[in-house]
Amino acid sequence: MQSTSPIVFERVGLTYPTGVTALTDITLSIAPRSAVALVGPSGCGKTTLLRTIAGLEQVSTGTLTVAAGATRAMVFQSGLLFPWMSVADNISYGLMARGMPALQCRDRARHWAERMGLQRFVDAYPHQLSGGMQQRVGIARALAIEPDIVLFDEPFAALDAQTRLLMQELVCDLQRQGVCGTMVFVTHAIDEALIVADRIIVMSARPGRIIADVTPQLPDVPIAQKRALPAFTQAFADIWAQIRSEVELQMHEEVR
Amino acid sequence: MQQNRWLSWLSPLLLLVLWEGAVQAGILNRIFVPPPSEVVVALVDGLVDGSLVADVVVSSERIALGFLIGAIPATLLGIWSGLNRTVYYLVRPLATMLYPVPKIALLPLVIVVLGIGEVSKIATVAMSVFLMVVIHTIGGVMQVDRRYFEVGRLYGANQRTLFRTVALPASLPAIIEGWKLAMGFALTLIVGVEFVGASNGIGYRIWQSYELYAIADMMAAVCLIAALGWVLTVGLDEMERLLVPWRHTIKESRMPLVQKWWGAVRPWSYTAAIVPVLLGAAVAAHEVTLNWLWLALALVGSIAIQGGTNLMNDYYDYKKGTDTPAVKGTGGALLRGDMTPEQIFWAGIIAFAVGSAIGLYFVYATGPFILWLGLCSVAVGYFYTAGPFALAYVGLGELAVFIFMGPVMVLGSYYLQQPVIALPAIWAALPVSFVVAAILHANNLRDIDTDIINHKRTLATMLGRSGARVEFYVLVGGAFVSVLVLIALGLAPWPTLISFAMAPLAWRLMRTAATEEAAEKLHPVLRGSAVLHMRFGMLYVIGWVIALWV
Ligand SMILES: Nc1ncnc2c1ncn2[C@@H]1O[C@H](COP(=O)(O)OP(=O)(O)OP(=O)(O)O)[C@@H](O)[C@H]1O
Ligand SMILES: [Mg+2]
Repeated sequence: MQSTSPIVFERVGLTYPTGVTALTDITLSIAPRSAVALVGPSGCGKTTLLRTIAGLEQVSTGTLTVAAGATRAMVFQSGLLFPWMSVADNISYGLMARGMPALQCRDRARHWAERMGLQRFVDAYPHQLSGGMQQRVGIARALAIEPDIVLFDEPFAALDAQTRLLMQELVCDLQRQGVCGTMVFVTHAIDEALIVADRIIVMSARPGRIIADVTPQLPDVPIAQKRALPAFTQAFADIWAQIRSEVELQMHEEVR
Repeated sequence: MQQNRWLSWLSPLLLLVLWEGAVQAGILNRIFVPPPSEVVVALVDGLVDGSLVADVVVSSERIALGFLIGAIPATLLGIWSGLNRTVYYLVRPLATMLYPVPKIALLPLVIVVLGIGEVSKIATVAMSVFLMVVIHTIGGVMQVDRRYFEVGRLYGANQRTLFRTVALPASLPAIIEGWKLAMGFALTLIVGVEFVGASNGIGYRIWQSYELYAIADMMAAVCLIAALGWVLTVGLDEMERLLVPWRHTIKESRMPLVQKWWGAVRPWSYTAAIVPVLLGAAVAAHEVTLNWLWLALALVGSIAIQGGTNLMNDYYDYKKGTDTPAVKGTGGALLRGDMTPEQIFWAGIIAFAVGSAIGLYFVYATGPFILWLGLCSVAVGYFYTAGPFALAYVGLGELAVFIFMGPVMVLGSYYLQQPVIALPAIWAALPVSFVVAAILHANNLRDIDTDIINHKRTLATMLGRSGARVEFYVLVGGAFVSVLVLIALGLAPWPTLISFAMAPLAWRLMRTAATEEAAEKLHPVLRGSAVLHMRFGMLYVIGWVIALWV
């Protein structure tokens, strides 16, 4: 990956055909191999922003530049594993679609299954796995193609608290191993953002604008300790202060 | 709950019995409404002389051809329309317009165009299948979650890969659903088509029997078309399991089919069904030459009823959620995902159908006594755990089993060979009665603690643990003592003494029952009692057989 930013938004706006304006005036440049978290009230356009990076939506105004030839992968909140494929086939889907021979696919699937602690489930179907295990498959599917950009859309929102901790550890580990490339991680949880990312971008209520962009300097320690650091609580309080009024705004919006 | 379990499969049985009884008693006119037993005979006759078999083959061919000719292009076209807007707007309105037209109404038109031969029959079926499958397939493809396509595209799939890995597998369940419905249509339609302008096939047979007023033949043909429908449904279900494995597997099961069913029907548990039938025949053999065919039929019928009971119990236990995956037999098989509840249910129904068919045949052949025996057995079976006066829960379970899985069954089997209500046959059954009651009691002894907690009143809970132990000794010991008494009174031949070869096994069982209290320690006593029943019972029967020569 070159040292120039792989993802650059310049005054990007997006209005859906239904007339809903999801994004306005987004200007943002993401450094290569960095981990960025995106937080904001629900419905503010986080998913939309990720989808534009993934190439699943076209921006209406402004320009979005994604480095030429950068491979992109996405992990979804609902998993979106293919229920009709075994865990192994799900993991190697991206490789298969790009034309890798079946035997090699199988090999890579095994490799990633092992890395994710899924070795016992390679032949299982997704519905036979717990939610946490399903998300591991989703992450394995994304990382198996060795992407330059990995997009996470609230991947752990549906998991119980303990499983979520475990998964956050996993993501931190993978990142440390350098397999996540440039990572954009959408989450509702401020603490989750602080744990998995170096830089946190706060969005306003719809239409989504960027209202804060913070880079708290937290030491690289296990997450249980990280949460107890004064710097962590301070950063949490700062971000919450930023986001609070937006969430309230969002609530009133919903009442109306 | 218990009531529901029984009612659901008792009612068809009861209907058959009432029907038979009503005709036998002259309430229904035999000419217009032949009894089930006559239908069974007609069915057997038609199958043996091959005429019904030929009809089934012809109808199956028409259905199969019509189905394939209709379903294959319909599936392809349906998928194409689901994926392509232009094709969709060309196909869908036409299909929905034609769909409600009753296809049978078009038959005369088809005959005018295609003649009265095979082609018009197959074409009518194919047409109906085609429309059904097209509509379902379009729906199936359209309802696929669009997000799956996005995921596919995001991960680099091109159109062809998307089709193979997303569109097809995601819509397959709905497509197969369409095939199933279409198959039902085809079945209905073929009968109607064969009513007119056919010279063979099941529909023709039904109509022909109507014109000749051979109602029993007609009903036999109806039974066959029902059976054909069932086979086709099961076939499609199997195909679905094969094509849509992700919908069914709880855990990938590689257990071979034979092994699965072996575990499900638990043939080793059938000693209670087999021994009394053999004993009745062995006792009768001292007076008449045996009708081997009837003995064999009686065995099959008895095993079928027992098997049906096992399967149904498993089915309802599963529905109630009382079994755990560790449980042996079908209950466990269901939870392990080896088999679907529907498979078990239908296997149970078939087993009962076979058992009742044989029973009805005997009623037809030997008169109402067997009917009364059967009715009493069903009633006791029903009141065993159901109804306001559940025998098993007022401590009468052992007595019921003692009487019905001993004297009643032995007498029934005896009666088939020699239509006399003979007291010697009843006496001869006593040793078997004792052991079969011992099996049930071993079960109650094992469960005594949980039964007390659940306020289940079995004889064991009423007597308390020490009393229950004594009861076990009495039942197991009674088997051996009764053999001695019968020989002494001249009611059993002396070679039946060879059953004493099982005395050591009986002794071991009693010792374990005397010392152990934990349920899992007492479980081997239950299993051992069943083994004792089989070995002791078989030796006792062999004693009777040896006595034919000595
Ligand atoms: N395909 C679409 N067509 C029309 N409107 C859409 C579409 N997708 C999203 N929207 C609307 O755009 C707005 C932003 O949606 P988006 O899913 O990006 O929000 P979000 O921040 O991800 O919300 P959440 O936190 O609930 O996931 C919402 O008001 C939503 O209703
Ligand atoms: Mg979202």
